[in-house]
Amino acid sequence: MAAPCGRMASRSVIQFFCTFSRPKSRNVGFRQFGISSACRVTLKTKSVSETASPSPYGLAAAVYLQRLPVISADCSPIEQSFKDMMHQIELEKSLLSDHELRLIEDAERLKRKQADDYDSDEEDSHMDQDIVLTQDLEDSWEQKFRSFQPAPRVRDDVDKDMSSVQRCLADSLVLVSEQTVGDQKLWLLPQMQWQEGETLRQTAERALASLPVGLKATFLGNAPCGVYTYKLPKPLRTESSLGTKVFFFKAILSDSGPSAPPNSALLWLKKSELQGYLKPAYLMKVERFILDL
Amino acid sequence: MSLAFSRCICRVLPQHIVQRSSLAEGHAARTALYVPAMTLRTTAPLRAEPKKKKKVDPKREQMMRERLKKKLKKLEKVPPELIPIEDFITPTKCLDEERTRPISAISFEESERRALLLKEWSRYKQKQHMAEMKAVESALESQREALEELKITSEELYQAALKPDFTLLPFTHEGPAYTPPKSKYEAPDGKYTDTTRVYTQ
Repeated sequence: MAAPCGRMASRSVIQFFCTFSRPKSRNVGFRQFGISSACRVTLKTKSVSETASPSPYGLAAAVYLQRLPVISADCSPIEQSFKDMMHQIELEKSLLSDHELRLIEDAERLKRKQADDYDSDEEDSHMDQDIVLTQDLEDSWEQKFRSFQPAPRVRDDVDKDMSSVQRCLADSLVLVSEQTVGDQKLWLLPQMQWQEGETLRQTAERALASLPVGLKATFLGNAPCGVYTYKLPKPLRTESSLGTKVFFFKAILSDSGPSAPPNSALLWLKKSELQGYLKPAYLMKVERFILDL
Repeated sequence: MSLAFSRCICRVLPQHIVQRSSLAEGHAARTALYVPAMTLRTTAPLRAEPKKKKKVDPKREQMMRERLKKKLKKLEKVPPELIPIEDFITPTKCLDEERTRPISAISFEESERRALLLKEWSRYKQKQHMAEMKAVESALESQREALEELKITSEELYQAALKPDFTLLPFTHEGPAYTPPKSKYEAPDGKYTDTTRVYTQ
């Protein structure tokens, strides 16, 4: 398959995803195995009445926006040596192609021409082929290839600019923004407080839309991929707010739009660079669902 | 009645008496004896359509049609010719003796190096696979915990999170290429002739 390939999923995979999310509820349901249906109904009504009274934790949703790699990664040394070996083995086991046969024929013809007993009459039937030698064809192809200048794979200056989307094209990047939480300025995945009457995914979409740069993303499903409970330090705790629960939603960047102004508090970081910016407890929870494959 | 009577007279009496009596009877008797061509067109039975088909014929036609249909069905029962899988048929070009590459012998050291490299590679790939599996498992675990937390927090939001998202699929994404895309690049127009062979059963 050619290197740039689009991936299409058919309708049947939707059912797979449905069954994929179902086991989550089933695992939790196993704990309530002994409870009869009547009790379950009462439990439901209880939970409805519970939501009427505010839960001690505030709710927020954050978006884990991922920019997938644009170019293929460089090979590690073992990968490179294996690649070379495979190429060599393939070459040894293959047959000669048309182009190679033509090269051999041309070489033989040249030898015959340079030999002393050269009979040009014999060659008359092949005269029309002499006009274009295979070597000339190869040279013209080489020239055409050299005249095409592809975009450079690695640009060091862009790689060092943490806020550019174009940095480190071979790795997947995460969007991190600086936000004021309480009285501190922290580096977090962009988050927003939950409001009544909307689902958490809509909150996450709002969080994405609130960023100064116009970013278009595809959210992967309605279910959160991770959770981080933040407990307020003891002096600030009240009865109604013990802290916040932040639910993370995964999204894939589809269009970056115009480049952000340099002073905006947005960074695109690789997984290895997250350590320098995020708090350790937060990082521990977030690292689990950030796949760096 | 008059015709029958005149016929009887013709048989019994001699000819001259018949002629005189026929003259006396007029046109009706004359038609019975002479049948001139003029009157052929006007008589009632001769004007009607000739009934050449009898009652058995439509049945016979039906039988013929059924027989033809049965023959057609028998012909159609032949299984359709299978479409050849072109990948499984070695093209004759490859069996040409001229095309065999001159084999250069591999030295002992080279074969040893290759064997060791293969082992290294399998070790490397196994590590990579285990790391991938671990990462996927941890992501799944994280999602499971998130859903549990959500269920404890709010049943309504939990149910909303469990709903399948139909706007997601079909989802397309261009995979990584070797070089990044060039901005403002005009690709040259390519013309190609499609030479795939199409088979119909």
